[in-house]
Order: sequence, then structure tokens, then C-alpha cells
Amino acid sequence: MKLPNVSFKLPKVKIYGIDVIKNFLFFTFFIILTLVFIAFIISPAIHSFKKSKKEYYQTKYTLEITTNQYKEKLTELKKLQNSNRKIINAFKRDFNENNFKLFASKYMSVSSVKEVNSTEYKNEFIKTTYIMTSKIKSPKNFYDFIDALKNYKSVLRVYFPIDFIKNKENIDLTLKLEHYKLKPKKAE
Amino acid sequence: MYSFTTPKPKPLIKEDTKLWLVFIVISVVLYISFALFLEIKTVLYNKDIESFNREIITLKQKIVKIDSQKEFIYRQKTLYEDIMVKNSLMKDSIKNLLDLIPDPVTLSSISFDKNKLIIYGITPTQDIYNMLMLPPLESIFTETKTYFYQMSNGWYKFKSENYLKEKQ
Repeated sequence: MKLPNVSFKLPKVKIYGIDVIKNFLFFTFFIILTLVFIAFIISPAIHSFKKSKKEYYQTKYTLEITTNQYKEKLTELKKLQNSNRKIINAFKRDFNENNFKLFASKYMSVSSVKEVNSTEYKNEFIKTTYIMTSKIKSPKNFYDFIDALKNYKSVLRVYFPIDFIKNKENIDLTLKLEHYKLKPKKAE
Repeated sequence: MYSFTTPKPKPLIKEDTKLWLVFIVISVVLYISFALFLEIKTVLYNKDIESFNREIITLKQKIVKIDSQKEFIYRQKTLYEDIMVKNSLMKDSIKNLLDLIPDPVTLSSISFDKNKLIIYGITPTQDIYNMLMLPPLESIFTETKTYFYQMSNGWYKFKSENYLKEKQ
């Protein structure tokens, strides 16, 4: 049996010496190659680029908002610290007996200040109790002393028991003083 | 054999084929360069995003810290004001009690405690005490007890115990 003679040789069609078939095949190859590159390389690259670009601007915007928020909060904190500087410093100070006696000497003659105990108060503060004995001329000295505590460097509360005992020209005054200060922070 | 034409060297690749090949190679290089450029930009964007995210996390942590600092200042302020108010209230309550003492009555000692008041003093008569001093004390305290001791000059020493019972 004789096989049919099949030939794959392309026919040559030439116009003005240009091989039309060959050029058409090259053109087709070029188009296919371009489409393949677009489909498998350029398009995914553009897609991930666009996605990243969008995320970049979104994150940048979030960062700007967060930065502004942080700056606002910091300004608020500084304002708050400045307006409450006296209170913040008062809570940092330890009780200084000599300084207290000097302060109280305008209103009374302090005989003794004895520490009774020291306890934790509301987890963040330390409350130290003192018993103070002193002599005053009249109850007005005591009232003025309490009023003046508002301007004292430390935070002091006058508490019960308060005893007034008349003693010739003076009044012996015994009272409990509570000193509040910040609990020292543990080293981190 | 003799030929009338001189032989011309036949190129391995024809001119138009060479042109097509160069064109295709340049195109492929351009496609790859463009894709590489986009990939590099994407990587740079992603690096920036990571850095922004880290900054955002740090800032948010700082904001939380600032909020807790602010709250702490408010707590200090509240405690301070509370103490100052209590001091003023203490002064006012003692002042009001001492202002209640009528002129004829002389106090020798007075002891204020959280829920009780003990007064020692001298009164010319029991009636003066009972009329001028006892009613205001009874109006303030839930329980009032008074003990009188007659002195040699006819006046009375007294001890007044006053208690406040906390509501249950």
C-alpha cells in the first residue's frame, strides 16, 4: 500500500519580494506572545501593584489620622498635667516632719508628730497616719490651719479623733493626720 | 558546469526574519522590564505598608498609655479634691458644734470622733445646760447622755456623751 505524499512545506506567496505568509506567521506569533505576556505576567503584576498601591494609601491615611490623634491626646495630656501640676507634685512628695512643723507653726505650736501606720490606699496610693499633738490659742487657729492645708506641698487630711483640752491659756490639740502619696512603681 | 552569474553568499537568516526576531526580543525585554518595574514598586509599597503598620501599632500603644495617664491624673485630682472637701467639712462641722456652746457654759475638753462627741465642761446650773445646750446636741446626735457633778461653789461639772448610730 502506498502512503499519500503529505508535504508541510508552506507555499511561498511574494508581493514585491516580501514573503507574505512568513510575515503573517511572525505577526501572529508576536500577537500570541504579547497576549501570553499580558495574561500571565503583566496583568498579575498590575493587579498586585494596584492592590498594594490602594493598601499603601489607605495605611498612610490611617497613619496620618492616628498621628493626629496621638498629637491631640499628647497636647491634652500636657494641658492636664500643667493645670494639675500642684496636685501631681503633692502626691509625689513624702511627708517631711520639719517642713510640716514649719508650715503649722503659723497656726499652732506643734509638740510632736508620730507615725502610727502606713497602708495601701486604692491600690495606687499609700496612706500614712500620724498623730499630731500641738497647742493652739483658739479654735480659729485650727480652722485657719485646715484652710491652709489646701496650699500645703503634701496631701494631708485631718481626721478623727480630734481632742481639744483646755489648758490654762492654751488649748491642747490632738488630732490624726493622714498623708497620701503615690505608691512607688515597681521597676519594670 | 559554467554559470553566467557570480554566486552570492546566502545568509543563514534572511533580513526580514532577522528584523522580526529583533522586534520580538525587544518586545519581550520591554514586557519583562515593565513587569519587573511593577513588582519592584509593589515590593516597595508593601515594605512601606509594613513600616506604616508598625508605626500605627506604636502610636496606638502610646495613645492607650496617654489615656491611662490621663485617667490616673483624674483619679489623683478626684482624691485630692475629695480630701480637701472633707477637710473643709470637718472644719465646718467642728466650728458649727463649737458655735452651739452657749456663753454661760465653759468647756474644759471636747473630743470629736467618727460617731461620737464627748464634752467635758462647767455649767452654772443644770437648767442652763438642759435649755441651751442639750436641744441642739439632741437634734444632731441619735443618742445623748449627760452626767452632772456638783462642785463646791454650786456650779456643775458635766460630761456629755453623744453618739451617732449609723443607719443599717
